[in-house]
Amino acid sequence: MGRAVSPAVTSPPPLIQLESVSKRYGSRTVVHDLSFDVGKGEVVGFLGPNGAGKTTTMRMIAGYSAATAGRVRVAGYDMATDNVAAARRIGYLPERPPLYDTLDVAAYLRFVARVKRVPRSAIPAELDRVAAACRIEPVFRREIYKLSRGYRQRVGLAQALLGAPDVLLLDEPTAGLDPGQIQETREVIRAFGSDHAVLLSTHILPEATLICRRVAIIHHGRLLAIDSPAGLQRAVEETERVILEVTAPPGPLRDALLAVDGVSTVELRPASPAGGALIADCRIERRDGVESAIARAVAGPWDLHRLERQQATLESIFLRYVDRAGGGPPA
Amino acid sequence: MRGTLAVYQKELATYFRSPIAYFVVAVFLLGTGYFFLYNILLSGDATMAGTFQSMGILLLSVVPLLSMRLFAGEHSGGTIELLMTLPLGPWQVVLGKYLGAVTILLVITAGTLVDLVPLYLFGNPETLTILAGYIGFVLLGMACLAIGQLCSALTQNQIIAAMLTAAVLLGLWFVGHLQSFQSPASALRGLFAYLSFSLHFVDFIQGLVRSEAVVFYGLVCAVALALNAAYLEWRR
Repeated sequence: MGRAVSPAVTSPPPLIQLESVSKRYGSRTVVHDLSFDVGKGEVVGFLGPNGAGKTTTMRMIAGYSAATAGRVRVAGYDMATDNVAAARRIGYLPERPPLYDTLDVAAYLRFVARVKRVPRSAIPAELDRVAAACRIEPVFRREIYKLSRGYRQRVGLAQALLGAPDVLLLDEPTAGLDPGQIQETREVIRAFGSDHAVLLSTHILPEATLICRRVAIIHHGRLLAIDSPAGLQRAVEETERVILEVTAPPGPLRDALLAVDGVSTVELRPASPAGGALIADCRIERRDGVESAIARAVAGPWDLHRLERQQATLESIFLRYVDRAGGGPPA
Repeated sequence: MRGTLAVYQKELATYFRSPIAYFVVAVFLLGTGYFFLYNILLSGDATMAGTFQSMGILLLSVVPLLSMRLFAGEHSGGTIELLMTLPLGPWQVVLGKYLGAVTILLVITAGTLVDLVPLYLFGNPETLTILAGYIGFVLLGMACLAIGQLCSALTQNQIIAAMLTAAVLLGLWFVGHLQSFQSPASALRGLFAYLSFSLHFVDFIQGLVRSEAVVFYGLVCAVALALNAAYLEWRR
């Protein structure tokens, strides 16, 4: 008689795991009870105002400082005790690129590659690989102190990519780059993130929307939310806005709009000082069909010039979360 | 081992690609040359004793310049975050850096050998005494560098690191003088004498390679480097 075997569905453990992590400096708590995971093939954005605890958290994950409470695991290693073993699996670009100014780019990268245990015979190919990925070939033999800020940032990124680490921690990776370089860097991160775990902190909110599968919002050392950009949008905005431009008398237009099922409020203002068309700003419930019902109600009797749905941007979501959490630092 | 070697080579490259090493070597060799001529012309003896004594004091002034950047420089350059997050144990970082600084000490020491040329050309010096003096000088330098490296790890500012090192080294150099004070505790006087960098060095200058002195300098190196590694771990 056969034994019933339950299929063991074991998903691989997350590469970055934070369990109730706190960090205190003296009596000041910089990070409070932070928990989240980053899995393989994920790019997670870390958003927060200055002093929110992003860099402190990055440093704990990288093994630069130890958590006061809680546990940080990277690739299965406990960073409190096995940080040196875990370091082989981590590529880390701190906020300020950690460069030895007197060395040339090649000597610097060779040093990092050797420490990361890249086999001696594989080092030249590995340097070529990261130099190509970060587009630093033109300055490969130049002393680091002679480099522009953009190149310094990219040499820092190249250093983090050496040794093909499983986990990439990037603290403001596109700071100081011009738009073209930002685009290239995002491509590098996106390509890398497809089969590794990437955690990147950024101030540039569209960047998080563009390259991150999930976004964590942190403020005063507390995690306010972690979800996909679309999920965050849904959580924050229970209502959305529809803006119309219509040539119509104000009273009947307001009545017609409020008569549509799903429209909660209507604000009217003239489209131009000269009069004529009106702008109607409607707050609507989040469900399908409301926009088309508005269009039908308005386009029949009057001239409808424009109808657009206003969605919450990541900026507005972020500010909403930070406002909800309160302005003052926690006691 | 490979990590230590990588840090060591990085340290050497950093020393020789910045003006510090050249400046320190030049200052030390010029100073030694001056004192060598001064001592030889004053005494007329083919001996290095006076020169070794001066080299010891010169060492106290150049070691802080050599060691101040070892860790404080990593802080000011923002590279400490890289160094402490690479797959390197604290001991590998401490040893790699220390061996780099000791290599510069050996370069300085080798440079002073040029003073021996006229000594052997025009006189009849005692080779074993000179050899003992050099052994003592290298041991003294290694102990000074270990203390300098520890001081450099304790602060993020290179100037403070240099001043702290100079203060500690001067204290250890002159602590032997305290034994001549009228102190009721003879154990304390013994301790002052034992801790004195200069009293142990004098033995070597006189041609005595005493195991007690060798162990003393070795112990200073070991304790300073162990504290250095422990401090790096504790700071996390």
